[in-house]
Parts: sequence; structure tokens; C-alpha cells
Amino acid sequence: MHNSHGGPASTDAVIEVEGLAKSYRVFDKPEGLRASLKALVHRPSRVVEALKGVSLTVGRGEFVALLGPNGAGKTTFLKLLSGIITPSRGTARVLGHVPWERADDFRRRFALVMGQRNQLWWDLPAAESFRLHREIYRIEPARFERTRDELVDLLGVRKLVLQPVRDLSLGERMKLELVAALLHEPEVLFLDEPTIGLDVVAQHALHRFLAHVQAERKMTIVLTTHYMKDVAALCRRAIVITGGSILYDGSLDQIVDRFTTHKIVTLDLDEAPDREEFARLGFPCEIRGPQVTLRIDRQRIADVLPEILRGRQVRDVSVEDVPLEEIVAELFRSGGTAAPREPAGAGA
Amino acid sequence: MGRYLSIFLTFTRACLVRDMTFRTNFVIECLTSLGWMSMNLAFYLLVFQFTPEIGKGTGWTREPFFAFVATGLIINSIVQALFMPSAEELTEMVRTGGLDAVLVQPLDAQFLLSMHRVDFSSFANGLVGAGLLGWAVMRMDHAPPAAAWLLYPLLILCGVAILYSLVIMLAAATILLGRNQSLYDFWFYITNFSRYPAEIYAGPWGGLLRALCTFVIPILLVVNVPARVITQPLEGRGWALVGLAVGAALLALVVSRLVFQAALVKYRSASS
Amino acid sequence: MSRAVTTPRFPGLRAWFTMLVICLEERLAYRGDFILGTAMRFLPIVTQVFLWTAVFAATTRTDIAGYSRTDIVAYYLLTMVTRAFSSMPGLSGGIARSVRDGSIKKYLVQPVDYVSFLLAARIAHKLVYYVVAVVPFAAVFFLCRGYFPSAPDAATIAAFLLALLLSFLLGFFLEATLGMLGFWFLEVSSIIFAYMLVQYLLSGHMFPLDMLAGVPTGLAGVSVADVVRWLPFEYTAYFPAAVWLGKIRGAELARALAIEAGWVVAMAVACRVAWWRGTRRYSAFGG
Repeated sequence: MHNSHGGPASTDAVIEVEGLAKSYRVFDKPEGLRASLKALVHRPSRVVEALKGVSLTVGRGEFVALLGPNGAGKTTFLKLLSGIITPSRGTARVLGHVPWERADDFRRRFALVMGQRNQLWWDLPAAESFRLHREIYRIEPARFERTRDELVDLLGVRKLVLQPVRDLSLGERMKLELVAALLHEPEVLFLDEPTIGLDVVAQHALHRFLAHVQAERKMTIVLTTHYMKDVAALCRRAIVITGGSILYDGSLDQIVDRFTTHKIVTLDLDEAPDREEFARLGFPCEIRGPQVTLRIDRQRIADVLPEILRGRQVRDVSVEDVPLEEIVAELFRSGGTAAPREPAGAGA
Repeated sequence: MGRYLSIFLTFTRACLVRDMTFRTNFVIECLTSLGWMSMNLAFYLLVFQFTPEIGKGTGWTREPFFAFVATGLIINSIVQALFMPSAEELTEMVRTGGLDAVLVQPLDAQFLLSMHRVDFSSFANGLVGAGLLGWAVMRMDHAPPAAAWLLYPLLILCGVAILYSLVIMLAAATILLGRNQSLYDFWFYITNFSRYPAEIYAGPWGGLLRALCTFVIPILLVVNVPARVITQPLEGRGWALVGLAVGAALLALVVSRLVFQAALVKYRSASS
Repeated sequence: MSRAVTTPRFPGLRAWFTMLVICLEERLAYRGDFILGTAMRFLPIVTQVFLWTAVFAATTRTDIAGYSRTDIVAYYLLTMVTRAFSSMPGLSGGIARSVRDGSIKKYLVQPVDYVSFLLAARIAHKLVYYVVAVVPFAAVFFLCRGYFPSAPDAATIAAFLLALLLSFLLGFFLEATLGMLGFWFLEVSSIIFAYMLVQYLLSGHMFPLDMLAGVPTGLAGVSVADVVRWLPFEYTAYFPAAVWLGKIRGAELARALAIEAGWVVAMAVACRVAWWRGTRRYSAFGG
């Protein structure tokens, strides 16, 4: 949080990745009887590149969002950084360690939380899982208790710690998962879709909590998500991955600047608008009741707006950026062909 | 080492708490495994209705044979209680990606994967086995010497170690292949060979099988060596078998560890 | 509504053929597992063969309960054939699971009768199984041809085939009924396990049931074998094998076939009743 505008922190780099790539060989399951018979002799396979050479640096205390459609390579990237899988090419260092060597010293200093994957003992109270965690991470008892109490109070889950995990709601479980992950006070936290399946209230609570502990402990957090709300609420830096490559790496605000050519102007009129008249202006427009929405070229907005307002009974007018969701969705769709207005990847 | 012991005790505690929460289930599990065992015992009793000995001149008359069966029960109940539930769960963990969570923890993955589940109901069979052993040994013609009683627990451990290594190899195969129902069947069918005295594998084919199951997959050493030590006088051949069992156990542990490590490097992780 | 649900409607031939093809594709996709799995199922027999050989080596008898050494080997191999017909892997567990997780609902709304559907699926499943499994079976039987007495007469073969067919139906209805207990009990896995235990012992899977002829029940003149004869279990493993080996002949054979047929009818009715009452209970209490 100490760096001014989201870019790599100037202090020390916690994550350094260079040309990281991972490819899998997958076997196609042929459909149809004839193809199945053929597959007896030769199984068709192909190589899928989940990640095609990614390079980046994350500084201490950064909160980074990894955005991308399903299958973009986000989870593969996190798994590589956690040392769960070994890359096909490239290098990575997290906290100075090569993750896939799985040194205990490294594993004691980070945590990985995966949404919808339960790591707590299902039939037992979370307190039991916490106790195991203390043993595994060799946390000193006094310190363990202090951290645990602090975390459960922050999340308001003190009462839930003694209930069997299977009796808890998804949101409550996720909170306890987070407590477990943070018990050993990791320096780096990887979150894979932490808010998936949660309702708005639970999402909000998690965000507040993450923002708080991140600021408090100067943790480095990398988060993958589908929800733009996660990103907007938490991260200054966003990395957009599609098809295994980085499409954009920079501040969130700049995604808007860089990838949109339009602003959205909404007019609330006194009377039903004349469709013909607005169509003549030459901008894509949408009319719903007394409300008109126009997409207007950013550069021309100052010239055009007074013209539009002139001579109309306007009750209200707003000029907004295209919503983040829409921009990113557009980015995903184009897979990088939506030419950025400036070269991507340049620092802030 | 102390940390691993305390982690293991934490697992044990948790599993005990869990088993006690589902007491009915626990009792049913005990009963079914006891039922399965008594059925087998009934079958052996039936067999001894028709013959005084299994294999001519092998020494496996009724009481020694039941001591053999008891040894098998003890060894299998230890393996079933300590390792099999974890190994069975591993298939599920590989399929769902639960293994990922294990790999990020600062702990030996093999330890965590082979120990995190303890099935207490399986000890029921072991207790019956111990009782059966006592009964059979008391009724035998000769009492086992003190040396035999000292060697017996050690050889039980060797048997457990060999079976454990086999479980670990299968676990490694699970990690590599992603799924493997028939590999667990494979475990069942292979260990099936260890259920009878090695002497029954007679004749040229039997000899080949016996050699394979002694030197390649040392499954025949698991029950045979401790059972032999406790039921038959220790002479030259017996000592050779003891050495073989200890050596095979150590080698199996090392090889399975290497195979497991290699499998982890190749782990693909389930896509989420 | 209940009329539409319970009208037995066997899936059409086309639908059934599609099912057959899908089964075959599935088998082929996992062919490695499958061939290995089938071949390994013979392994326990190998130990049994050696065990009985060792038993015969140590005893002065030439036969045990009417079985010579070679008869016993032939018996075990033949029970493998019977089990290939009568065993229904995953049937009762699958039914119980679909009751528990609610996926049984779709059979309540689809215009197909569940029991008939399951039977059709199982026939397809078995047919495909035989197509692939015939290879390891033929190989083993060829290698072990020396253990078999000369081929029985046509009437015996006919009775053997009939017994096999009935054992398939008996196995199916037994296990389907067992699975439907899931409508009443939340956790049927222990019931299934208990059934498997009894079935394993009393079906003749472990040893020829004739060996129980000398085991008294406590009632005067009644042996365990006499009781087992009236239970359904032995018809799922022992009976067809014993028929082939000529252990059961004439009036005794006819009577046994009648008992087997009686059990098939009884279990088919039980299965149907369990389905009716179960679904009624299910729709009354909700899933």
C-alpha cells in the first residue's frame, strides 16, 4: 500500500517470474464406436499450453489480482507459484525459493487458499484442524493462540470454531479456511477464487477482512477471481491473462483508460425521447422509457455533450466509464486483439 | 521426528473423535470386519475337517496354521487401520485436487498422505488375531523359544513395512494416472497370495509363483516369516528367511519412497 | 400420476441399442483397467487351486464331499462363469445413492419404468462385458482344460444354461431390491455389506457347498447344506457349476431349478413392491 500507483513496489521483489510456461499432454476421448476402436491402437493426444511464457515481478506488500476467463491459465500460474506443479520452461522465485523444490522453509512462509476446496476436517470442529496446523507449521503455542483469537474475532467466527465444519454454511467455512491459512502468519498469500459461490454479504465481509490483514501485516497477496467487485475493492494492480499469456499488467484505473474508447452518457428526460432525433446524432444509443443511453467517443465528449443538452428538458445527466466488467469481458473475448491505446505492460 | 510423532497423534486424536461421533457406524464397521474374518476362520475349520495338514510334511497342521492365520490378521489389521484408509482417500484427493493442499504444507507429503487417516475399527481384527495366536500357540506341540518371541514383533513390523511400501507404490501410480480403481483391486489380489503358507505353492508353476512373490514382490515374506518363526523350530533355513524379510522390508521402503518422490514431480494437479 | 409412473415400459429397442453402444464405448475407453481387472479376478482362484492341491497331498482321501482334486479346480472356474452372470457390481449401491442424492426424481417424471430401465442397462452392460471378457475366460479355460471331466450331455448343458440365465435374473432382482431399501434407510451400505458377507459364504463362492453336507444344524438329520438349498444364495454361484459337473441330476435337478425360478419370481415381485411403496413414500415425504 505504500507505493503510490499500483505498479511494482520499489522495495524488494517477493515474486520473480521469468518466461514461465506449462504444457500438458492430453488424450482426447474419441466419440463414436468406430473412433473408440481406433483408439485401441493409437490414442490421439495433443499438447495444451496452459501457460505460454509469463514474466512478472511482484513486490512486497502488493495486492495483485489475476483476471482471466476460465482456462486462461490463472490457476496453473498459482499452482506453479505454490510449487504444486513443475513448469515445462522458465524460472520462478517466491521469497527467494524455487517453489517446486518444496523446501519446508519456503512452505512455512506462504499459504494457498482455494475457494470451494475444503481443507478443514469435514466432520470435526475447525479448532481441531487449527491444532493440526499448529503442529505442522510448528507455531509457538502462545503466538498461535494470539493469532487465532485475533483472526476469529476479526471475522466474527469465534462461536463457529467449535462446531463441526460440515454444519457450517459455505461463507462461514471460507472464513475458517482463511483463518487456518493465516495462522502461521504467511508472508505471501495465494487466493484462488476465494469468493466463488458466496453471497454478497459474505463477499463483502471477506474483502474487508483481506484488506485489513493485508494492510496490517504487509502481506503480499495474489488473488485470482471472476468477480470484478473483488478486484475493484481490493487491488490496485491487475494482471489480465488470456490463453496463457499476459494481456495487461498495470493499475485498474488504467485498464479503463487504455482499453476503452467510449464513455457512457445517460440522460433522464422529462418526456418520451424521440428515437429518430437521437439516432441522427450518430452514436449508438439505447432508449428505455424516458432514459437515453449513448456511447460517445471519449475525445469528442466535451464537444458533443453541450450540443445534446441544448434545447432539451433534461432532468438528470451522467457521464460514466464503461463498467470494468464489460471492459474485461471484452478483453477476454478479443483475446488481446483489442488493440490497447498504448503499449501494454508499461509501468504507471 | 518429534514433530512428526505429535502430528501423527493429532491425526489419531481427530480420527478417534470422529469415530466416536459416529459410534453406530463405528460399531457396524467393527462387526462387519469381524464377520468377514470369522467367515474365513469357518472356512479353514471346514478344510481341516477333511485333512490333518495343509501340504504333506509342511508342518501346517491345525494349530500352527491358525497361528499363521492369526499372524496374517494382526499384520493386515495394522495396515488396514493405519494406511489403507489414507491410500483410498488419495484417489479422491487426486481427482478433486485435495492433494494440492497437502503439497503446500511444510511437511513430508508421503508422511501426510499415508498417515492422515486412522481407522480404529480395523484394530478389532488384530485383537482377535492376538487372541487366536495365543490359543493356537498354547495348543501346539512345542512352545516357541524366547528368541522366537523376540523376533516375532520385529518380523511383524517387516511385514507391515512391505505391505506399506506396496500401498505407497500404488499411491504413486494413482498420482501418475489420476485414477486407478483396478490398482486397488490389484492390491487385494496380490496380497491374496500372502494369505496362505508359501509351501502350498508346489510344483513347477507353484515354484515360479513362489519365487516371484518372494524376490520380485516380496509378498510371501509378509506373513510367512513371522508365522514360521513362531510355529517352527529356528534352524538354518529359518534364519535365512528372517534375514531375507528384514532386507526385503528395508529395500521396499527405499524403493517405494523413490517411486513416490518421482510421482510427485510428475503430478499434474486436477484442473479446477 | 402414480399410474404413469408405475406402468412398466421397457425402453424401446433403439434406445436400448444406443445404451449398448455407449456401454461398449465406455468399456473401450477404460480397456486397460478392464482387461487387467478381468484377468486379475482369476488370481484368487490360483491360490485356491494351490490350497486344495496341498490339502489333497496331505490327506489319504481321493475325494472330498464327492469332489476330486480336479473337480474342485473345475468347480472354482465354473463359479467364475456363474458370478459373471449373477454379480451386479454397483447396482444396489447405485440405486441407494440415487435415492439419497435425489437423482431418482428424474425417473419419476420420465416416461420410463425404472426397474425395466435398470434391467435393460444391466443386460447391455453384461453383453458388452461378455464380448470383452470372453478372451481371458477362454484363455484360462483352455489352459485348465485338463481339470474338466468330459463334456456333459445336451440336457445337462441346457439345464446349465437355464440355471445361468435364472442366476442373472435372480442376482439382478436381489440386488435391486436391496438397493431400494434406501427408500427406508438412509445408510444402506452396511446392509449391502452384510448381504455380501452372507452371499459370499452361502453362494458357494468360497467352497463347494456339498462340503456342508456333513455339518449339522442341530436339528435331527438336517445338515447346513439342506437349509442352504432352500435359500436364494447358492443359485448365484454354486448351482450352475454343480449342474455342469453332474453333481445334481434328475429329479433333484428339476426341483432345484424350480426353487431357483421360484426365487426369481419372488424377488421380482419384491423388487416391484419395494419400488411402488418406496416411491410412494418418497413422494409423500419429499426428497
